[in-house]
Amino acid sequence: MKTITLTLKKKSQIALEFDELIPDEVFDWEKDDFENYQVPVGNKRFPLTDYFDLEVEGTAEGPEEVKMILEGDCGRVKYIGCKMSAGEIIVNGDADLHCGAEMTGGKITVNGDAESYAGREMKGGELEIMGSTREFCGCSYIGDWRGMSGGKITLHGNAGKQLGECLSGGEIYVKGNCDILAGIHMTKGFIQIDGDVTRWPGGQMKNGNILINGKLGILLEGFVFDKIVKDPEIDGKSFSGKYIKYTGDIALNGKGGLYLNAEKNRELL
Amino acid sequence: MAYEPPVTDYDEIVENCTCAFCGCNCDDLDFLVKDGHVVGVRHACRLGASKVMEDMDQRLLVPMIRDENGELQEVDWDTALDKAAELIAGAVRPIFYGWSETSIETMKHGIRLGELVGAVLDNQATICHGPSLQAVQNVGYPVATLGEIKNRADMIVYTGSNPMNSHPRHLARYTTFPRGWFRQRGRFDRTLVTMDPKYSDTAKMSDIWIGFEQNGDYGFYNAIRAALKGKEIDQDYVSGIPKEVIMELAEKMKNVQFGALYFGLGLTHTLSKQRNIDMAIEMLTDLNEYTKWVLTPMRGHFNVNGFNIFMAYEMGFPYGVDFCRGYQRYMNGETNTIDLLTRKECDVFMVIAADPGAHYPGGAVKHLAEIPVIQVDIHWGPSTEIADVVLPGSFIGVECGGTSYRMDGVPIYMKKAIDKPETCRDDEWIIRELLERVQKIKDEEAALASK
Repeated sequence: MKTITLTLKKKSQIALEFDELIPDEVFDWEKDDFENYQVPVGNKRFPLTDYFDLEVEGTAEGPEEVKMILEGDCGRVKYIGCKMSAGEIIVNGDADLHCGAEMTGGKITVNGDAESYAGREMKGGELEIMGSTREFCGCSYIGDWRGMSGGKITLHGNAGKQLGECLSGGEIYVKGNCDILAGIHMTKGFIQIDGDVTRWPGGQMKNGNILINGKLGILLEGFVFDKIVKDPEIDGKSFSGKYIKYTGDIALNGKGGLYLNAEKNRELL
Repeated sequence: MAYEPPVTDYDEIVENCTCAFCGCNCDDLDFLVKDGHVVGVRHACRLGASKVMEDMDQRLLVPMIRDENGELQEVDWDTALDKAAELIAGAVRPIFYGWSETSIETMKHGIRLGELVGAVLDNQATICHGPSLQAVQNVGYPVATLGEIKNRADMIVYTGSNPMNSHPRHLARYTTFPRGWFRQRGRFDRTLVTMDPKYSDTAKMSDIWIGFEQNGDYGFYNAIRAALKGKEIDQDYVSGIPKEVIMELAEKMKNVQFGALYFGLGLTHTLSKQRNIDMAIEMLTDLNEYTKWVLTPMRGHFNVNGFNIFMAYEMGFPYGVDFCRGYQRYMNGETNTIDLLTRKECDVFMVIAADPGAHYPGGAVKHLAEIPVIQVDIHWGPSTEIADVVLPGSFIGVECGGTSYRMDGVPIYMKKAIDKPETCRDDEWIIRELLERVQKIKDEEAALASK
């Protein structure tokens, strides 16, 4: 087991890019390698030691034996754990854009807020964010039509706009509230939101399921009332209580399921 | 408005010039020239004419550098270009913003410079039709040229746009009033629909006005699509519009022969941004099962579309292209000018033929005031007040020729009508000079490093 601890000593105004500092790349790096490493900042590279104090303990045979701990406010560190396939990254602070983007395995925990694009095009693994995220969590690369396709994102705080855009697999669980257009263009997968949703969940969705335990502001006209279900089972998970089930988005002949908590959304009954 | 007598005191008429104002790129203008200045413009709208006609009182005429007292001081071209090249070569996160009021020929050198130093190249789409470009990447783009609309369209829809104020000749020259091959009676053969929360000047002259509530665009188009699929709408009002009106409108849109939808910033900059366009395009896809429908964004500047077409062709992405890692990247919120400025990441900003000082949000302008700004422009404006190096360019379509793209993607060569002021230079020359000077600095740095 190898533990790599990076403690922030100077916050750069221009974001650092950490796409090369993932367990798959650094599992055989010694302390010297980190000290000689130059991290991309803007169009240049600067020594990693300008920004972080380093500590490396133990050895690892492969990426799955690596644990990276980032201490401090990483609100200007982009691409944390981008494309990682194994190992663990813990961020004790905020994370910047693209945290956990394109990851295929392993685990990332952010003990703070994450900026936009957390878990973009995620294919596997687990991303847990103790705070909130902003827009496009679990989305596609802009312009692409294939978003997150596997793995699990757990959000303890709130989600921003267009959560799970073009979702084609995997699971997103939001414990807080969510802004507009959750699950837009989704074709597969599951989104669970425990808090309130402002408006329009599931716009242009073709398939997959969205379950909302809180109150919904505005429902899209593209959703057709299906039935009232009690204790539904969705994607092998059981939920207790009464839910209003809608099917949509009919504009795309979609067969997606939108489950709304019946108690909280009585006026829709 | 007071009566203005026609201009009769001129030396010559330069015919078939192109207007350098909005995305209509009207190419039927006649400039009335006297003593090397444009004193009158025929056929143009008031906006275009006032831009083309003389405004020498605001014209930037000499290169300037801001001194230590904060005053802009006149310098020679070599000094100004060297100073600008030095700033660009030393930057860590430079942005080259603007390009929409200059020629494609200038952009050619701009891309090379951006690639050389690892800059972000962005244009006004980042604050106007960027969401449209994102939606087009997602769901495609049923497009027609303005000529086809003129000859064929029998229903014109303007949504989130007020062309009577912003593109005055759009209705007159291309869409609503002209007599086309299949629309011999002009206005009488067409139905004009405006969808806008405001009862705008365009709405006032429309046959149908749909005043949906602000931020309700996405829900409204979704309801039209549901109606097109044969669903009886459940809610009595969708986005503030009665369901009967929506059903009736869907029926009308289904039964036209050729429909054209034009959308503006009212659609791109409400709550659901790119998804409004996404939804509107998919609505047209549905309508195309019954009849013909096309759409075009109402582009603002005369060459804002040109930059997007040129960048998408050369680099694969239409705007906000980031070269900092040596290859091109594009990501909303990360490689766009406003985000880089409000996050205070940018350290050198070059503005070419644009006025961020006037158009950007406060936080972004505040950061601009703190960093070195290089301005390549023809007019004094709010951006000049925050600029550290000012390089006076020339007026494309009046003082020098150049290629631009109309809003529907038709390239138009804008010809030269008069000579530029002696102390000014062409934009193309300025950017090429900067490229050569930055290249020289980079070569020297590389030679030093190899030693």
